[in-house]
Amino acid sequence: MKARGAVSAALASAGILLAGWQAGAQVVETSSAVAASAGTTGTGTGTTGAAGTGSAGTGASGAAGSASSSGAAASSGASGSSGAAAASATYKGALVQTRFGAVQVQITVSAGKVTDVTALQLTDDDRKSVQISNRAAPLLRSEVLEAQSADVQTIGGATVTSDAYLSSLQAALDAANL
Amino acid sequence: MPRISDAAAPRHLRTALKASTFRCMGTVISLTLPSGRAAKGTALEGHSTEGHLAEDELAATAAVVERLFRELDQTFSLYRPDSEASRLARGEITLRGASDAMRERYAEALEWRLRTEGAFTPERADGVLDLSGLIKGHAIREAGTSLLALGREDWCLNAGGDVLVSGSPVPGTGQPWQAGIVDPADRHTLLAGYPLGNGRRRRRALATSGSAERGDHIWSPAGAAPAFVQVSVAAADIVTADVLATAIIAGGLPMLDRATDGWDVDVLAVRADGTLLATPGFRGQGITAIAV
Repeated sequence: MKARGAVSAALASAGILLAGWQAGAQVVETSSAVAASAGTTGTGTGTTGAAGTGSAGTGASGAAGSASSSGAAASSGASGSSGAAAASATYKGALVQTRFGAVQVQITVSAGKVTDVTALQLTDDDRKSVQISNRAAPLLRSEVLEAQSADVQTIGGATVTSDAYLSSLQAALDAANL
Repeated sequence: MPRISDAAAPRHLRTALKASTFRCMGTVISLTLPSGRAAKGTALEGHSTEGHLAEDELAATAAVVERLFRELDQTFSLYRPDSEASRLARGEITLRGASDAMRERYAEALEWRLRTEGAFTPERADGVLDLSGLIKGHAIREAGTSLLALGREDWCLNAGGDVLVSGSPVPGTGQPWQAGIVDPADRHTLLAGYPLGNGRRRRRALATSGSAERGDHIWSPAGAAPAFVQVSVAAADIVTADVLATAIIAGGLPMLDRATDGWDVDVLAVRADGTLLATPGFRGQGITAIAV
């Protein structure tokens, strides 16, 4: 029950997240509707619709098994067995209509935590992909644009004082080009 | 310290760069220009003096930038007792009697305070007017304008880790300037890279603010621990990048979302525990949000 509630709440949160990205200010009504449905299903999970933080579902305990479900409502949730080991499972969220078109997300839950959020459907009227958002989202260090010291021409960083500069990477670059 | 070399780059993309540095505004400013290779000119290639030519040009160009920084520093530095900013801070003059330059920057700072809903402010906690959060970015912007006016199309200007570029390190190729962003936990390691340039969908400016080093121009509610230890913002212009980076450090996640919603910027924010928040532009492989 607890896991089920968490998943429902997480789905709703993910829905809010995407809807918020997609529709900006206009989505207020939509997202509050989703939030309302989360309120009725997401019981005792400690999860709130923290849009933008990606922390949805962290309060869940006991992962569902290998269940996978899809439904028309965010509350359709999981139908997995709660006794299963910490295998990961995926859940599809509700199809949310935004002014850019329909949006649907899928979350992956592993060991009671949301580990991935994937967009299943993101289209606009032209059937082109749209940029859903430029919001900052959690990113692993292995996922950033990489940079090797040998390949960069300049170094960005919080203000380097004159003293700190002497031992900085920028100083090394400058020295190489003096 | 890592050895810097361009040996890994393909031969035709290798960069031959010349840098000039000077100290000002409590930091070090580096101007880097491509050297020794004329963009299109075939006439120059026969000259054996082309390296020297570039060096002379670099010296002259850097002198223009340095003079501009020094003039602004003399007016706006709070570390100089004789500066206009210091006299203003001591109450010897009022804004009404201040120079046009001072009032223009003050007006610009107030506008940014409005646009960031107070996260960026030109006043210190003790009420003293402090435009230092804006002046470095302004100096970089002005220097960039001067460089373009001088006919320099390819350059990289780095002032204490805030970067503005034009063109390419290899003139004529469209190859971007690659900026590395330092890891706040280990300033000799790079956390991420970011390409800067004039090309389509490229940004020219990258500014980084930190809550640890020189936090003297960043205010946050008393006692509140900053959400981010370092914030990098890439934008079309350096003042926007610089102000927003400062504002996000002060205003935390709400300001981060306001910045990405309200401005065309990329942001890489490092949280206190070392984890990252980033806009799609900072993602390496597997971009999930698709550009139109």
